[in-house]
Formats: sequence, C-alpha cells, structure tokens
Amino acid sequence: MPTSSAQTSEKPKSSANGVAKRPSELLTKEQCLELFQHLYLARYFDVRLIKEKKRGRLRGTLYSSHNQEAVIVGSIYGLQPNDWISPIHRDMPMFFLKDARNGLRNPNRMGMTIEEICAQVWCKAGSPGRARDNWSHIGSQSKHIIHSTSMLAGTIPAAAGVALADKINGVNNVVLTFNGEGSTAQGVFHEAINFAAVRKLPVVTVVENNMWAYGTPVELECPTEDVADRAKGYGIPGFVANGQDVFDVYDKVMEAVEWARAGNGPSIVECKTFRAYGHGDHDDDRAAKYRDPKEVAQGRANDPIAVCRKRLIDLGYLTGDAATQYVAENKGAGEVTNEDFPPEVVEYMNEGIEFAMNSPLPEAEEGGMWVFKE
Amino acid sequence: MAVAQQVGTVKKNYLQALNEALREEMARNEDLLLLGEDIGILGGAFGVTEGLQEEFGGHRVYDMPISEAAIVGVAVGAALNGKTVMAEMQFIDFISCGFDQIVNMMATYHYRTAGEVNIPVVVRGPAGGYGGGALYHSQMNEAWFCHSPGLKVVCPSTPYDAKGLMKAALRDGNPVIFYEIKELYRLNSIAEELPEEDYTVPLGKAAIRRSGKDLTFVTYGNNVYHCLEAAEVLFKEHGIDAEVIDIRSLVPLDEETIYTSLGKTNRVVVVNEAPMTCGFAGEIVARITNNAFDLLDAPPLRVTRLDTPVPWAKPLESFVLPGVDKIVAAGLRVARF
Ligand SMILES: Cc1ncc(C[n+]2csc(CCOP(=O)(O)OP(=O)(O)O)c2C)c(N)n1
Ligand SMILES: [Mg+2]
Repeated sequence: MPTSSAQTSEKPKSSANGVAKRPSELLTKEQCLELFQHLYLARYFDVRLIKEKKRGRLRGTLYSSHNQEAVIVGSIYGLQPNDWISPIHRDMPMFFLKDARNGLRNPNRMGMTIEEICAQVWCKAGSPGRARDNWSHIGSQSKHIIHSTSMLAGTIPAAAGVALADKINGVNNVVLTFNGEGSTAQGVFHEAINFAAVRKLPVVTVVENNMWAYGTPVELECPTEDVADRAKGYGIPGFVANGQDVFDVYDKVMEAVEWARAGNGPSIVECKTFRAYGHGDHDDDRAAKYRDPKEVAQGRANDPIAVCRKRLIDLGYLTGDAATQYVAENKGAGEVTNEDFPPEVVEYMNEGIEFAMNSPLPEAEEGGMWVFKE
Repeated sequence: MAVAQQVGTVKKNYLQALNEALREEMARNEDLLLLGEDIGILGGAFGVTEGLQEEFGGHRVYDMPISEAAIVGVAVGAALNGKTVMAEMQFIDFISCGFDQIVNMMATYHYRTAGEVNIPVVVRGPAGGYGGGALYHSQMNEAWFCHSPGLKVVCPSTPYDAKGLMKAALRDGNPVIFYEIKELYRLNSIAEELPEEDYTVPLGKAAIRRSGKDLTFVTYGNNVYHCLEAAEVLFKEHGIDAEVIDIRSLVPLDEETIYTSLGKTNRVVVVNEAPMTCGFAGEIVARITNNAFDLLDAPPLRVTRLDTPVPWAKPLESFVLPGVDKIVAAGLRVARF
C-alpha cells in the first residue's frame, strides 16, 4: 500500500529487486519533451487569453492557471484515453490536453480540440456546450470529461457515480477529479470521497493547493498542514506532490491511478503550488494588496517551465541551443511574447482563436431549448 | 414479507404498488440501480424496496451512507455513464441536504450540455403531513423543485397511479422528483386491484376523481381524499355538486383538464398541503387567471397549509393543515360568490 500519511519524500520506493523506478523515470525522451511542450501549450493558452482580453476581443472572467501548469499537465499525461476527468475553473488547458498523446489535432482522440475550447471561451455556438454556461463549465460524455457547475467540489459525487457505473460494467477506467484546496472544505467533498472509499471506487481527487481560495489563505480553509491529510479519515492514501515539478506530479498521480486501477479504491493527491495572479482577472488589483509581495515572489520562484527545463537538461534531453531556446518562464503575461514560445504552440492556439472568431453566436431561441429531453 | 399482503384478495396498497413498480422495472431494465439509505439489507425505512436487494443483488441495490448530496450526485454520475437510477430520500424532508446536487447539477444537465446528456434519475421519498410526523417528517416541499427548471414533479394519490407513474418516471429520461404520500402507504381503504399486464400512467395527465357541475377542486396527493370528502358534504348538506381533479403531476401540468372542467363549473378552489406563499396552488391559480379568466364566475381560491412549519401535537397539526372543514368553507365561498 502506498504511504497513507501525507509525505513529500522524493525517494523512490524500494522493492524486492532493489530500487523500483518512479513512473517518470520510465518516460522516454520523446515523452519528456512532449510534457515540456504541454507546459508551453498550457502557459501560452493562459497568457494569450489575457492579451486577448486586454485587446478587448474577449469577455468574461479569466481564471489563470499561470504557475500551476505542472499540475494540469503532469496529472493527466499518464491517463488511459478512456479515463475520465472533471476539470475546474483553473484547469482550462486540461480540456485540450486530455489524451493529447494521441495527436493534438486528432479529432477522434478522447479530448477536446483547441477550436472547441476557444469557441467556449469566446462564447460561441461552436462550443461543446453551445455557450450555455461559461468558462470551464463544459464537458463531453463521449470524451469522458465530466461537466462541472459553479458549485465547488460539486462534481466529486458525479465522479463517484461514473466510477460506480464503470465498476458495475466491469470497465476499469479511473476518474480524476480536480479541486482547489479551498473546495476541500465543502460538505460534498466529504460525502463523495467517503462513499468512494466505502465502495473502493477508482476516484482520484487531485487537490490543486495554490495556497489561496479567492481572498482566503489555506490555513483558514484546512486545519492540517497538508490538505492530503484529509485522506486519513477515509483510510485512503494521501499523496503530496511538488506542484511546480511536472515529473513529481506525474509520479504521485500515477501511483494513485495505479492504486485505483488495481481495485484498491480512491486517494487524494495534493499538489502544492501557488496562484500567480488574482483569483480571476477581476481580482488582480486587489490580490496585489491582500497578498504579501514576498509571499507571491516566493510562490512564483519555481516556474514549472524552468523546473522542467532543468530536469530535461540534466537528463541530456535538451542540449545546445535547444536548452536556452523559448524562455517563457519567469515572465508575466504582460512581458512574455510569442517569440518566447515554440512556433507550433503559437500556431495551435491561433487555429483555435481563428475558429472561435468565425463561429457564430448561438441563435436566441436556443435559450429556451433543451430544458427537458423530449 | 413486511409489505402486508392481504390474504384472500389481490388488492394492492400504495406501498405494494411502488414495490411492484420497482421490481418490474429492475427486471425490465438491467441498467437500473437503486440508491438510498437502508434500502438494501433493511428493505427501506417503510419497505418500499423490500426484497429487491435479495432479488437483484448488491450491485443493483445500494445501501448508501447518510449523505443525501452524494446519493443524488452519484446517481447523476451513474446516469452520465449510462445508468438509470432511483435515488431514495428516507423522508422527502431530507431532500434539502441534497438540494444543490438536484437543482444545480441534475436539473440543469440536459440544458447546459445543449441536449447532449440525459439524466434518467428518479428521486423519490415519503412525504406529507397528517401523521404526527412533526416539522421534519411531514413536509411537502415540491414547490422548490417546480421552481427549478429541468425537473419533472409528480405525486400519486392511488396505488394504480403510484405504480404507473413510477414506471413512467423511470422510463422518462428526465430527472423526476417523486412525492409519495406516506399516510397512504398502507391505507387499506384505497387498496385496489392492479392490472396483470405492464402499464404506465403518463406524466402530465390529470385524473377526474369525481364529476360535478358547480365547482372544481384542483388538488393532488392526500388532499384528493379531503376534497372528495368535502365534495360529499357539499352535495349532501348544500346541494352543491363539486368536481375533483387530481393533477397527479405538477411538472408538466395538465392545464387542459382544468380548463375543460372550468368551462363547466366556472368556479375553482385549489387545495394542497404546502405553505401558501409561492406554493404550487398559487401557480395553478395564476395560470387559471392568465389563461382562463373568461371562464371564471368567482375569484379562484386556495386552501393550503398556513405559512408555518408542520407542528407535532394533533390539534396544532390540524390547525395548520388543510382539512375537510376548510375545504367545504372555501367551496361554499366560491359557490355563493
Ligand atoms: C459552492 C461555492 N461557493 C462559493 C463559490 C465562489 N468561489 C468561486 S472560486 C472560489 C475560491 C476557490 O478556491 P479554491 O478551491 O482554492 O480554488 P482556486 O480558485 O484557488 O483554484 C470561490 C469562493 C463557488 N463557486 N461555489
Ligand atoms: Mg486555491
């Protein structure tokens, strides 16, 4: 059994044959470079939207995932295509990064296209939800993405229900739910994980601990040092990952996923990270006041792109010019430029935006449709 | 079996009718799951699910933790993944603990996915007063859900309807909130023979329980019987001939049957046991005044619970709930207007 107490140990587990490798150590060079590219894709999506909003081409609130990309990328990279996810407001890139290993532009993969996501952000009819609810409140039954509401932690019960149905059908998918640390204070968080634990359902709850829930620091949301300690009450494993390190996130989530897929039940994976900006872009100015600049500087000191770059250099996967190319890290959305990103990353996003701009608004009458299944 | 079988007769009570509906649907639809507190090993607090876990197994009938939000949310997730689910609230009063999952997660799912996702979930539970259940075992909180677009809401008053509406609800494909009148569960006087063959009662179709020409009572649930009694009093003591309409389903509402009746009687009293303010009786009155004003010879009246909780002691409970006397008085008022 994986350690059930929260721990941050970097040590690989020992096994009878000596020292077992961590899941990330089994990744090929190509896979490591792909993870790096996914970090760029997530970061570029975020900074580009901020620019688009500043240019007045976009309405609605943005919930930035800047500095938290390692959590998004690392936690879903190792999933099987048919595994389920339920992303929340800070996870927008997750929609198009799900099953991206099967080809970013492959429309048949078990993830959404950048076109669909941009159409959603732009509030257009081309959105998978036809722009009926905003921002991250989309999903896909066929692509195994659970649609969230605004109600924080509100999709964990559904995740358990999805897992229950799979279990009954003898299908061995894992369901990953995502929640901020503040959302772990919700009643349904307890109800759903308690049920999943009682029934040993393969539900992995990833807690993105970015230290702040809107204007409230984590210590006013959770009484334990590690949010993952909540797992103890359910007799399930609680893992703690360094949320700035895509490989550590990958390792801890894969351990939880394998544990779940083997039939052992749910777990919690806390990824410690830091919210770079305000809660939403409407909150940037106030966040600059309610958070100590020193705390913010410290929280942003380990940019996930820089952390990943260092690892790739150490592994010898990034050498020569490639090692110092495209320095997108440690730059704010206002400072970073297109030249700081690999051109294919910019190109991918451009395709999405172009589609969104050309997609029509939904017809007015749609507002009255689909209340009931006819 | 705790579900009382009446020896020497094939009459079924309301509870048995529900049990039969669930059993038959479980057999018919192997993707149907039952979730609820104490519904498996025990067979339900009232016995509605008696024998079903034995018959269909623990992978179909789940004893859930005392977690109403999780019961509903798990039902929604299972529905998203291809299942049909009956989710029991041990008492309908406790549905408030699952409220967010019902109105925000479940009710809106079809709408917010532009029709991509259907949620065939029936949330059902014992409801209603008149039994000394006090504040938290007597409620009729159906207005909350009628006020939440995306939910169908039904409330049968007879064993035949209980079975037929339950089957229809489980086949509907939309989320349905199903109000069972627990005071009727074992009421022998309404037990009846049920058809041998499979049948459903369509959602959105009212039933005329008594024909009359002078005024119309529009009601549902336990109050159907109070209205029938009041109609007898009005007829015997005052020569007033009242029609009684049992709407059976609130959402969708069979307005046609109401207006057809008003075309004949021109007078209406709406009766329900929920609090008056913003209640469904008010909704029915509003629709009548909007859509059938020309048919009215008197202002439409409501007889409802007072705007109070339901208290425990008998005199208190009777004071706040609609009873035959209050219904007769209202009938006289509209008849003599
Ligand atoms: C049930 C509920 N209560 C309050 C809110 C308003 N709200 C939206 S996000 C948020 C903070 C969430 O913090 P956390 O869970 O830590 O996630 P983060 O935004 O930090 O990623 C709040 C209070 C909400 N959406 N849902
Ligand atoms: Mg947070």
